[in-house]
This record gives sequence, C-alpha cells and structure tokens, in this order.
Amino acid sequence: MAEEAPTLPWKADVLAARRGDPNAFEALVRSVQRAVYGLALRLLNSEAEAAEVSQEAFLRAYQNLHRYDESRPFDLWVMAITRNLCLDLLRRRTKMRTEELEPMKEVLPSGEISLEDGAIARQERQSLEEAMTTLSAEDREVLALYYVQKRTTKEIAQILGCAPGTIMARLFRAREKLRKKMTTEEPT
Amino acid sequence: MTPNQCPDLEVLFTELEAGEGSALDHAATCALCSAVLEDHRQLEKDLYRLADPLPPPTLVANVMARVATEPTPLRRELWAGIPILVASLGVGLGLLITNDQALSQLGAALAALVMDGKGLLQGLASGANALWSTAAGPVAAILIILLIVSLSGLKRLVGDGPNPSQA
Repeated sequence: MAEEAPTLPWKADVLAARRGDPNAFEALVRSVQRAVYGLALRLLNSEAEAAEVSQEAFLRAYQNLHRYDESRPFDLWVMAITRNLCLDLLRRRTKMRTEELEPMKEVLPSGEISLEDGAIARQERQSLEEAMTTLSAEDREVLALYYVQKRTTKEIAQILGCAPGTIMARLFRAREKLRKKMTTEEPT
Repeated sequence: MTPNQCPDLEVLFTELEAGEGSALDHAATCALCSAVLEDHRQLEKDLYRLADPLPPPTLVANVMARVATEPTPLRRELWAGIPILVASLGVGLGLLITNDQALSQLGAALAALVMDGKGLLQGLASGANALWSTAAGPVAAILIILLIVSLSGLKRLVGDGPNPSQA
C-alpha cells in the first residue's frame, strides 16, 4: 500500500480527454476498470449490474471531466462516483425488496479462482467470499478496498468521504463480523 | 488497564497497526490475547489473498461507444452556457418590449447618456488626471490586481465544484 505517487500519470490523459481525445479517455478507463468493476461487484453482488454501473460511472466521469481536479488521483475520483451509483442502486433495491443476493463464488470468474495457488485452499477462499456476501454493503466495501484493492485508509477515506480514523473503526467492525461469520460456519 | 485485564479489541488492533502500545505488551504475555491476535493475522492473510474479479472484456468497448455519443467535455460547458445566456437575454428583451413604461425609461436613459456623453468623457479625463497627479494610480493598480486575483480564485473554486455523482 504505497503512499500517494509524486507524479501524476493520469494528468496528460485527462487534459487530452478534455479536449476530446477518445484514445486518452480509453487509456484512463483501461487503467482503472478492474478496480471500478471490482468495487461495484463487491457492493452489488451482481455481474450485470456491476457492469452497467461501471459503464455509467465512466460516462459520468467523462461528462464531468471539466470538474475533476487533476492534482487528485483519478482512480479515487471515479471510484467515488461508482460507489455513489452503487449506493443509489442498493437503496432502490432495498425499496423494491426483490431477490436474495447470490453468493459471490458464483459471480467470480472461475479462472480467477483456479489461478490462485496460495496457502489457503480454494474451498476456504470460497467460504471467505461467501461469508463476505453475508455482510452489509458498507462492511463489504471497506474490506474490499483495504484488503482486495490494497488501498490505504487515507485513500479509502477519500473515496468514502470520511476521516481515516472512521475507516479504521469500520475496518475493525467489519473484520470482527467476518471473523464471527467464519467461526460459526466452521463446524458445518 | 491492570496487568490481568485484557484490553478492548479495537484498542489492541489499533496498536497492532501502530506496532506498539500497552495493549500489545499485554498481549505478549496473555494467552487469550495472543490467540485473538493469531486469529486476526490468519484472517488478514486470507483476506489479502482475495482478488478483484476481471471486468467483462466488452466493458471498455461499451464505455467508449457511449462516450462517442457525448459532446467533448469542454464543449459541453459552452453548450450549457449558451442556452442560459440566450434565455436571459430573451426574458430581458421580452420584459422591455411588453412593458411600455420600461421601454420609455430605457429610451430616455439612452438619450440622456448621449446628451451627457461629453460631460461623462470630461469627468473620466479629470478623474484619470486626479489619479495621476495625487499618486493614487498605484493604489488603483493594486486594487485592480486584487480584483483579478480574487476573480481567478473564484473561477478555480467553481472549476473544482462538487463531485458529479453528488451533484
């Protein structure tokens, strides 16, 4: 989890994209698409909705590129937009009270899982993913940003619009809930 | 915290991040707290192994297809500004045309301006002369610079407006 980079690699592309260079904007999209889609998928637990929200987030970023302050990280800005779109969708979903969330193991690409060769077994990782899906969207997002995307608490605070200290407390609570879920799942 | 009293878990994990503290010192000698820390390390290790899924291969193409139908971001500003300007002018002119009194007042004001034009020019010339002769010129220049800097600052603030998703 590196500190803020001294250089601004996205600045040239942002300036070019503002002038209407599509290649520059495409480069920006490619550089952050995985993080954006990953966050959307963690929050929404639906591949189709995550893809749709990611597209919408990039479109809004393009439409509001003149408002973006290029001295701040571009990825954090787009992720903040993505997060807000996801939360809007979750609020609408809660109102509609439609279907149950599908387990994360079904939405993760199988190739991604089989490539992992760490110390924990595939089954254990799946149970961790399943336990994560039972947490609230707030807990999932803070865990995903910190552990999966390896963001610093300062960066997460920028995306979520709160103080880094709050992130530490939220991380603690989310981790504890996850640990309890994992503990209760173990005997079965 | 007495030597036998286990610390609050949040305090313990905060100190674990910091790498030092009395709660950590306690944990080093307490079997219960050591076990909690070991659990925590194992969970963190597992969490760090999770990876973000790959986005659909069509995501970039879909985004760019939608972006292609959008105007250039800089032109968008212009296109948003022109209708506002036209609408404002339209409303102003409409009010003038539909209101006889306002129209006659405007005509009278314009006529008075033409009639008093000479006096206005003389007044401006004497004002400039007074600025020049009483060393008020530098003061006026500083005030103008201050005005320009303030306007630039305001423009910068407007440029860094709210997050679009919050707008």
